[in-house]
Amino acid sequence: MKVQIILAGIGGQGILFSSKIFSELGLKLGLDIMGSETHGMSQRGGSVIAHLKLGKFQSPVIRTGTADILYSFEENETYRTLKFLRRGSVCFVNLEDPGRFDQKVLDYLKEKEITFRSFDASGAASKIGSVMFANILLIGYSVGTGLVPFNYEDLRYVLESVSKKKNLEMNLKVFEIGVREGKP
Amino acid sequence: MKVAKEETRILLGNVAIARGIIEAGCHVVTSYPGTPSSEIIPAVVEFKKELGLNTYIEWSANEKVAFDNALAASLTGKRAAVAMKQVGLNVASDSLMSSAYTGVIGGMVVISCDDPGPHSSQTEQDSRFFAMFAKVPVYDPSTPQEAKEMVKEAFELSETYQIPVIVRPTIRVSHAKQSVKLSPVNMLDRQADFKKDPERWAATPKYRFVLHKKLNEVLKRIQERFEDDSRWNYEVGNRGEGPFGIITCSVSFVVLMDILEELNLKKNINVLKIGTPYPLPHKRVAEFIERHKKVLVIEETDSVIESQIVDKNKVLGRLSGHIPLQGDLAPDVIHDILASVLNELGIADLEESGDEKLRKLIEGLDIDVRRPTLCAGCPERAAFFAIKKALPKAIYSSDIGCYTLGLNLKAVDTVLDMGAGITLASGFYHAYHQDKKDIPIVATMGDSTFFHSGTASLLSAVYNNARFVLVILDNEITAMTGMQPTPGLGITADGSEGKKISLEELIKGCGVGWIETIDPYDVENLVKLLKKARKYTQRSGGGIAVIVARHPCLIRYPDVCMESPVKVEITDDCDGCQYCVDYFECPALYLREEYNCVEIDRNLCVDCGVCIHACPKGAIIPV
Repeated sequence: MKVQIILAGIGGQGILFSSKIFSELGLKLGLDIMGSETHGMSQRGGSVIAHLKLGKFQSPVIRTGTADILYSFEENETYRTLKFLRRGSVCFVNLEDPGRFDQKVLDYLKEKEITFRSFDASGAASKIGSVMFANILLIGYSVGTGLVPFNYEDLRYVLESVSKKKNLEMNLKVFEIGVREGKP
Repeated sequence: MKVAKEETRILLGNVAIARGIIEAGCHVVTSYPGTPSSEIIPAVVEFKKELGLNTYIEWSANEKVAFDNALAASLTGKRAAVAMKQVGLNVASDSLMSSAYTGVIGGMVVISCDDPGPHSSQTEQDSRFFAMFAKVPVYDPSTPQEAKEMVKEAFELSETYQIPVIVRPTIRVSHAKQSVKLSPVNMLDRQADFKKDPERWAATPKYRFVLHKKLNEVLKRIQERFEDDSRWNYEVGNRGEGPFGIITCSVSFVVLMDILEELNLKKNINVLKIGTPYPLPHKRVAEFIERHKKVLVIEETDSVIESQIVDKNKVLGRLSGHIPLQGDLAPDVIHDILASVLNELGIADLEESGDEKLRKLIEGLDIDVRRPTLCAGCPERAAFFAIKKALPKAIYSSDIGCYTLGLNLKAVDTVLDMGAGITLASGFYHAYHQDKKDIPIVATMGDSTFFHSGTASLLSAVYNNARFVLVILDNEITAMTGMQPTPGLGITADGSEGKKISLEELIKGCGVGWIETIDPYDVENLVKLLKKARKYTQRSGGGIAVIVARHPCLIRYPDVCMESPVKVEITDDCDGCQYCVDYFECPALYLREEYNCVEIDRNLCVDCGVCIHACPKGAIIPV
């Protein structure tokens, strides 16, 4: 398997934790892992983007027009990172109001056969107790849709192994909710 | 003793480097934090704890101090490593240049992390040029795994040839993550044993000449070793003749390999990978060029390999205008360089990166650029706001740290390098004073930066009768680079107790006659204090006035920093003038366009209450 994933958002949205989930998943599946993270000045409220490449890759960064999956946790960061997606890829976007997303961009994605799925992960997370859960919700959602090449059991297993003890129960619960929301 | 531990872990490049340091059995590790190098020391601390090692680890006050501490350990026969960002090497360069001559005993590895882009630095300087300048060998890793292995070999090379060795990861190696194979840790049992040799360790100019001659001989031997080395310098492809070949190194090599794979060009193009750009294995490079009609040199950040190539007739690169002179070589950049060169040579017809249609669509949306900003509730914002209010016409010389972002509040006019907040203030004073002009000058500097290079700047300014206001923004941590402790905190790198250094005592010791300490959340009194400080700089017998604005960083100390929360709300008096958004610039305050008034983002607001002072209409009030 060769998969290239972009995770985008802003500082504090748990991009690095999300990237950790997928890299540990890769390790479990016996794949080589290469990726890239943002640290330093950008972390102070700036754009944060993580590149993750599972399988036989050598470089830690993804070229535009070649990514298979985009997880975006923020609307404007979505517009900024869509360029990474290849024809026929899929993106999962945390959006409060899908109706607000630019129609011309949606048309473009359709033309490129890019599947666009939006979900109000922040809203759902707030209801559960904290916007901090939005990342796990969106990941769960993507698994529920069946549009990603990862299965439910593997991801649940990895989430169990990377979660801190005090967050474990809640993380799993939130993941399940996400999966349910994503199911067709 | 060997600690057996063979496994694969996903490691950040800097953690892999730390692992390499530990696997090499290094005894002493020192550093001053700076992106992209900051994660090395904490990872060394983690491995030390995990494996129960006796490693001595320190956050030093600055990079030169770190370098010298490591070097001394090497002179006793132990292995030592010092880590820093590329501009840190400027600070440590005095020691680097001299130690290249005197040499080392135990392996001494200098890790200098470059920042092409730049992402979080004031320059894009290429540390490999520093290696050439100082005449020490340099390894140039492409991946975290390779960085770990190179660090280990660097110790061996350093010990064999008794010379300091640089390892130069770029940010795309330091902050890459990879599944890395760990090796056993080789703990070396060495007792400190400094053997006196004044002709070497205290060499006078006469002996320096001899040492320089020896250094040149050593470099020649190292170059020969690199010629034969096939671990770091190797060819990918058919090793035969061809119309076109590429010489490359560092992360550019792996980026290129993924692009050649993607474009199915691997069979057509030979690639020479160079892991030791200095001393350059000249014969290998010349032989590769000999076999090809044209050779492209792709390297970050500057033209270190390309400059060393003697016959450039067939060479394309930065010097021939084929590679951008600045910026990092991201995959799109390398792809487009390749496309243009292959088109030019008639080898392949490739399109440029990116989709013009999408680019135009997104451009048309006019999305705000998300600039970095001080956190909501940051005490430094409160201090900058007070400075602007008290002395709106001052020259604001500032420095390197989170507080560089005081730029957004227009309270920062200069950012040169570590320590220049004070030295430029002093220089500005004298330049105006010479013309008999009295202008307000406010220097700002963080606590960690002051410990790094503030004292010499300050005592020199005091000694030479400069007059300005200095505000030390003391958040009791090195915040920007990831919360490393400072001498003011009195906790050392591995969490054990150190001696706490008092900022106020230190400032007094520099000869300053006017010092006040205040919590910057108390904006009203800080404004008054700043005006008093300014008066002190003007009165007869006055001088430099220092205000220590002390409030803990709220990211590092979320519990203690908000002892008395002040929840605020915005009243109907808000007319949407956006003064608070523009001049206070708290990310928790935003304009709700449909109502033409400012609202509070409760997810971001930390109830510091400082914005009460930021509304000229009095529309922000405590609940």
